[in-house]
Amino acid sequence: MRLPERQVAALEAASATDAQPIPDLAAEAGIDEAAATTSVFELEEDGLVAVETETEETVSLTDEAREYLDAELPEVRLYRAAVEAGADETPVSMGQVIGASGLEGPQVDIALSNFARKGYGEIDGGEISADPDADPDSDAEITALEALDAGEAVDDDSLLDRLAERGLIEREKRTVRSVLLTDAGVDALMAGVEAAETADRLTPEMLISGEWEDVEFTDYNVEADATEAGAGKVHVLRQAAERVKDVLVGMGFQEMDGPHADADFWINDALFMPQDHPARTHWDRFALDVDPIEDLPEDLLRAVENAHREGVGPDGDGYHSPWSEDFAREVALRGHTTSLSMRYLSGAAEGDLEPPQRYFSVEKAYRNDTIDATHLLEFFQIEGWVMAEDLSVRDLMGTFEEFYRQFGITDVQFKPHYNPYTEPSFELFGRHPETGELIEIGNSGIFREEVLSPLGVDCDVMAWGLALERLAMLYTGAEDIRDLHGTLADLEFLRNAEVIY
Amino acid sequence: MPVVDIDTDELRRLTGHEEKEDDQLKEELFGLGLEFEGETEDGDLQFEFAPDRLDRLSVEGVARSLRYHYGDDRGVDVPDTNDAEWTIQVDESVPDERPYVAGAVVRGVDLDEDALDSLIQLQEKLHATMGRKRAKGAIGIHDLAMLKGERVEQREIGEGNDLEPPEDLTPVGGDEGPTDVGGPTITYRGIDPAGDEFVPLDADAGMTPAEVLTDHPTGEEYADLVGEYGRYPAIYDELGLFSFPPVINGQRTEVTTDSRELLVELTGTDQWTIDRMLAIICYALDARGATIEEIDVVYDDGAAGERAGDHLVRPELDTRQKTVSHDRIETTLGIELGMEDVTDLFERSGLDVTTNLGERTEYEVEIPPYRVDVLHPSDLVDDVGRAYGFGDLEPEYPDIGTIGGRHERSRLERATRTALVGLGFEDLLNFHLSSPAENYERMGVEEGADALGGGEAVEVTSAYSEDYTQLRTWALPSIMHVLENNTHRRYPQELAEVGFVAEQDDGENTHVAEHRTVAAAIARTDATYEDIKGRLQALVGEFDADLETPATTHPSFIDGRAAEVVIDGESVGVIGELHPRVLVERDLEVPVAAFEFRLDALAE
Repeated sequence: MRLPERQVAALEAASATDAQPIPDLAAEAGIDEAAATTSVFELEEDGLVAVETETEETVSLTDEAREYLDAELPEVRLYRAAVEAGADETPVSMGQVIGASGLEGPQVDIALSNFARKGYGEIDGGEISADPDADPDSDAEITALEALDAGEAVDDDSLLDRLAERGLIEREKRTVRSVLLTDAGVDALMAGVEAAETADRLTPEMLISGEWEDVEFTDYNVEADATEAGAGKVHVLRQAAERVKDVLVGMGFQEMDGPHADADFWINDALFMPQDHPARTHWDRFALDVDPIEDLPEDLLRAVENAHREGVGPDGDGYHSPWSEDFAREVALRGHTTSLSMRYLSGAAEGDLEPPQRYFSVEKAYRNDTIDATHLLEFFQIEGWVMAEDLSVRDLMGTFEEFYRQFGITDVQFKPHYNPYTEPSFELFGRHPETGELIEIGNSGIFREEVLSPLGVDCDVMAWGLALERLAMLYTGAEDIRDLHGTLADLEFLRNAEVIY
Repeated sequence: MPVVDIDTDELRRLTGHEEKEDDQLKEELFGLGLEFEGETEDGDLQFEFAPDRLDRLSVEGVARSLRYHYGDDRGVDVPDTNDAEWTIQVDESVPDERPYVAGAVVRGVDLDEDALDSLIQLQEKLHATMGRKRAKGAIGIHDLAMLKGERVEQREIGEGNDLEPPEDLTPVGGDEGPTDVGGPTITYRGIDPAGDEFVPLDADAGMTPAEVLTDHPTGEEYADLVGEYGRYPAIYDELGLFSFPPVINGQRTEVTTDSRELLVELTGTDQWTIDRMLAIICYALDARGATIEEIDVVYDDGAAGERAGDHLVRPELDTRQKTVSHDRIETTLGIELGMEDVTDLFERSGLDVTTNLGERTEYEVEIPPYRVDVLHPSDLVDDVGRAYGFGDLEPEYPDIGTIGGRHERSRLERATRTALVGLGFEDLLNFHLSSPAENYERMGVEEGADALGGGEAVEVTSAYSEDYTQLRTWALPSIMHVLENNTHRRYPQELAEVGFVAEQDDGENTHVAEHRTVAAAIARTDATYEDIKGRLQALVGEFDADLETPATTHPSFIDGRAAEVVIDGESVGVIGELHPRVLVERDLEVPVAAFEFRLDALAE
């Protein structure tokens, strides 16, 4: 029989008659204890040895017990002082006895609590009486401690329990495995066992020397969990953005790029948002503490101002709101990425555009608000628009149905809505792919003439926007957006997030 | 978005459809764009809607919309008005900041609790929306019986060397001459903040307007609106000051369920706005059977604003006309419609229409005065669509060919992120907003220092939270913050971010220089300069660029273990082992090696 070398050593060291504890066996076999243990279990599995498991108890004395071995137990000292004071005849005041005993500190409590328990006498009403028949010299507890100290066994279990309770001894149980050769083991040894060459690892040397041909590889536990690899991953929200970009590029959309800090002109005025619109008040916009923008296209600026003041077209009305160029020139963080659409549609980004065009961006927008589980100060807005000679509400519906279908959202519903910059406008609702809940998935519409005419666009443009986080939360099941995005992110959440494709 | 509380019993009564169940009403209102939000404590249903149709801020307005929707009403309806008896005189002392006024007298009102609640709700909601929290327009409603109009003989319209009568001057009472006066008058003027006393609502003693702003809860709430005015707005009758717009009315004229005649006055910063608010109020009261009576508004020649010397008659309930072509309707809706269909749809939207058959068919549409949302013919096309039912339109994918593609910057970001992940980094996405403590102090960097991250930050003017007061000038502090928040998580932690940073730069049009940065850090028990340098070499190598790392010093890094990142000969960043001071500041118990450099250095 060929066995791995350490198994052979263990088998040869084992006896058929005297069970040997594994450490002894290891010493005899000349292998380390861990290898011996592994080998013994492997041999047991093959039926060559039997392993007996016993529990062994060791009892050791504590430092406190050693003190009492030198100086008697506190209750015995109390008894002797009590007898000295005549308490074996008439009760004596406790204070007097304790004073005479020389007990101090915690020892007083120890003495008092054990005195009556062990029948040395009684304590009643502040007085001590001693039992004249008690024999402190044959105190069972001290006798046991002396025996243990001398290395003798004490069999009285309840006595040991009490000593352990008093903190005088420590009892420790451990498992001892002993090994005995089985009949099969004996037979195998009789028939002769040889050591096979085994290897834990395949090494370069083995491959070069050809030694691998003679080697037996030890088995691994191939089912056991391994330490998990720390792989990097693209942030889950970025993955979601990539997915959206893939879809939009596939639908013929070109990506836009542009400033995060921009003039209110591009963020709001060009969008026909009146300057006294509630979203443009002091607290809701993210005004930046920098000087106003230097250059704005002069003609465009005038055309936008005129749209605000007078409206567009023979039947157009303007807003009855104040309009100031200074406000339009103020720089703020964009509240939506529609500022990019305005830059592209005006020709300021890439020159004049001829229809048809499709453009998109998946970029950050900012909202000056308080942070909670579903709102951050920064979020990604998916923004898209289509420019063509004639666009109808049906084209808008068809485009967005197609977009959402790519994400498993069918049955998109269009609820008539109001935006200052589009007419008609629609809020988009769709069914959550898993819960079936009707959720808002975007805002859309056809840009008003008051928006397009100043920009110099004389065809139709339909646009829509939604928060990427809304899509991503559907994907990841994240309930708190703060786990996902920002410096409060939980690394474990990011590491465990399922990939998006 | 505005929310209107609706007592559905009232709604049923006002629409004349007692048979409608609440659920049915909810569904029909959703079709009109009013979304059910919940119930009030009193059992009213709350509906939220977009802030265009402000005429729906009351149960009366919602009922009117429903009656059109049901086809019970068609076309434009304008309430009848009686000729003016009362006058509002605008004194030359009127505050420059708030010179405009409008008003109406309403007689024969029968206000039960529900009707009074509805009126107060309409007033408050109009304040919140069109009134811009009372700044642009504020409404005061008074019990007319408690007012004593002055009889003044001073109205000199058309006399002396006055200007030409302004366009919208309408003679009082038509055939009566302008000097035939003597009707009761109230006066809108500006007064010294402590110039007079009155007993405001919810108070039991006389107060001056200045005292109202400091000692009365409503006064405190609206103090900012008038606090800076030199003269405070005030309205007087013969008995004295009775209203302190836009803050609070006096107790004397408080409206109760016993009030039978009302005076509605509005003041504001824009005449058109308060005129429209007044029209919406008048429509609501008319719907309850009240009679609207005009008021003459006479602006003194010396009054502030664009109306000085004007004589207006209010409420202004004139309709407006806009023309929309049949083509535009068909193009926008994407369907063919007959002219009769269009006319029907307009009328069911509460609009009147005259068809012009010319070279191209056009509709002249008459718009009632409560429709403050109609600015352009496209708004009328939307009305037709809503009446037709947008939901009944068949979606159609547009037959338009365009070429899609990614922006170069976005492709470069993606390639860099992919390379970093391949090198084992966890890709992070951090906030662009930060604070001086995070961006500078905790990194040991001073603002303005000549070191990466030391650029002058762009600050937010009014930040809500002290954690987010500026744009970050570099990304490494964000990564350090993530390390700080994740010390209980498994190590090694190898984190990277390709992200946005910005700093002040007067060379830029916006005075803000924005760029993308690449930052990465390795945190583990044995992280060294060599580990991070190896990653940087690999990353730069993937973009076939040359990397050099001449020694430098940087306050966030250990001296002698920091280097400039020089890519293709240009210094674009820093690399090194983070200084123990920076690590201890963030309770990190492992060394961290990191780099950061400008993304555009990797571009061709």
